[in-house]
Amino acid sequence: MNPATLPRLLQLCSPTLPVGAYAYSQGLESAVEQGWVRDEASAGAWILGLLDHTVRRLDLPVFARLYGAWQAGDADAARRWNARLYAAREAAELQREDQQLGAALARLLSDLGLEEAEPWRNAPRVCFATLFGLAAARWAIPLPEAATGYAWAWTENQVIAATRLIPLGQTATQRLLVAAGPVIAAAVVDGLKRPDEEIGAAAPGLALAGALHETQYSRLFRS
Amino acid sequence: MQTLLPTHPKEKDRRMPPSAMVPTPATGWQARLTLGFQRQHARTILGSCAHHGPLRVQRPFYPEGDEICHVALLHPPGGVVGGDELRIDVTLHSDARALVTTPAAGKFYRSAGPRARQIQRLRVAAGAALEWLPQENIVYSGARVHAGTHVELQGDARFIGWEILCLGRPAAGERFATGDYRQDFELWRDGEPLYLEHGRYPGGDVILDARWGLQSQPVSATLACVGAPPDGVAAIRAEWEAFTDPTAPRPAEQSEERATATQLDGVLVCRYLGTSTARARRFFTSAWSVLRPKVLGRPPCPSRFWNT
Repeated sequence: MNPATLPRLLQLCSPTLPVGAYAYSQGLESAVEQGWVRDEASAGAWILGLLDHTVRRLDLPVFARLYGAWQAGDADAARRWNARLYAAREAAELQREDQQLGAALARLLSDLGLEEAEPWRNAPRVCFATLFGLAAARWAIPLPEAATGYAWAWTENQVIAATRLIPLGQTATQRLLVAAGPVIAAAVVDGLKRPDEEIGAAAPGLALAGALHETQYSRLFRS
Repeated sequence: MQTLLPTHPKEKDRRMPPSAMVPTPATGWQARLTLGFQRQHARTILGSCAHHGPLRVQRPFYPEGDEICHVALLHPPGGVVGGDELRIDVTLHSDARALVTTPAAGKFYRSAGPRARQIQRLRVAAGAALEWLPQENIVYSGARVHAGTHVELQGDARFIGWEILCLGRPAAGERFATGDYRQDFELWRDGEPLYLEHGRYPGGDVILDARWGLQSQPVSATLACVGAPPDGVAAIRAEWEAFTDPTAPRPAEQSEERATATQLDGVLVCRYLGTSTARARRFFTSAWSVLRPKVLGRPPCPSRFWNT
């Protein structure tokens, strides 16, 4: 990777990226409320389990195709894969989360001069991966690194949410991130080589958590 | 039109005791059923019906007048073994209305190796409405199955459908320890995906017990509805709360049970995770009772095959 490229990847993965990811727990707040996640071990089982299932089988293979579509300048293919990822989100708030993060990233990229992001600012269905893939392709970040960055950003956001919700101490938080390393690496290797017919996932517990959160009485997060 | 034919002796041989390890032929049954529903004035008729191999449909019946044609799909062997391939294609032409169910649970038996396939393709034209309300699929430990339901809607077509899955046989204390169950449920409208669920359940896999997965529950089920009103989710939740009474003590086997409803972009989805296919059916028929008047302008008309 070109030495000037790495800073762009770090920028894209940073929790300070102004898309508002900190407001979403992706069902984790509900999982804590249900008693399904209550300490470091169960938080690890939840986050790393989803990383090895949904992120590996669904997000990353679709991300690879989105990245490829942007690289080839095939906006129609990007639109198709975006629609597939969006339709695979299993609860209303999980769809809304992707919609809002994706639209926020479209606004940011558009303001930074990526004109192709402009139409996605107000598109009815947007996924974060779609715009992340656009930025990575245009900033010449190689696919494996970009996919690793996408998975890392997802993981870090989940771990930060767990830290606030359970709560976890700083060392426990860092232990979870260390444990995520090899899971991310394996998910990227597998996710990037999946054929079309092996793309997709279902995580029934996550789907329940997402829906149960809609009626949760006390909430810090929007998902 | 085909109605139920006498069971072929060879098919009869394939009815098997619940726990039998089935000797699998090199190639299993290749069965196919193709149904076409058409609107003729006020009546929906089963205008075309073709079958190949052991898949049948009972004579259509009209328990609620001419408009909605009810049919029951039959699989005379009574269960699916490795290597079997079942294809069901259902088409509703413009303005047709049909309710499709099955008289018994689908059973997928332990396989010695080959994978069984049951692929269902449901096409609903503009103005038409399909209710796809089969009984549950029971998947024996050791079964290797690819089950797929692909729904293609055109324009303002309406759809209410459910899939109820029981992995292993909890009544016999059998967990889904080995085998592989793959379940695709896809809902498309005018070539755009509305809802895609691709369940992958290898026997003994971490997903069976994980909290993000099946939570050690044998029964998981999904209901999808296209054409639901904005208040559908709230009405379903209220109906289920009234039935279950959340303030009353619940039996232990229901304490881990969850039943949810959520309104996705263009499709309402209900889910059940728990110990009992009867409870899943009870939740879904209660959701269906709420949705049917709003989506189809009809009071619920429970199929005579459901013993809920």
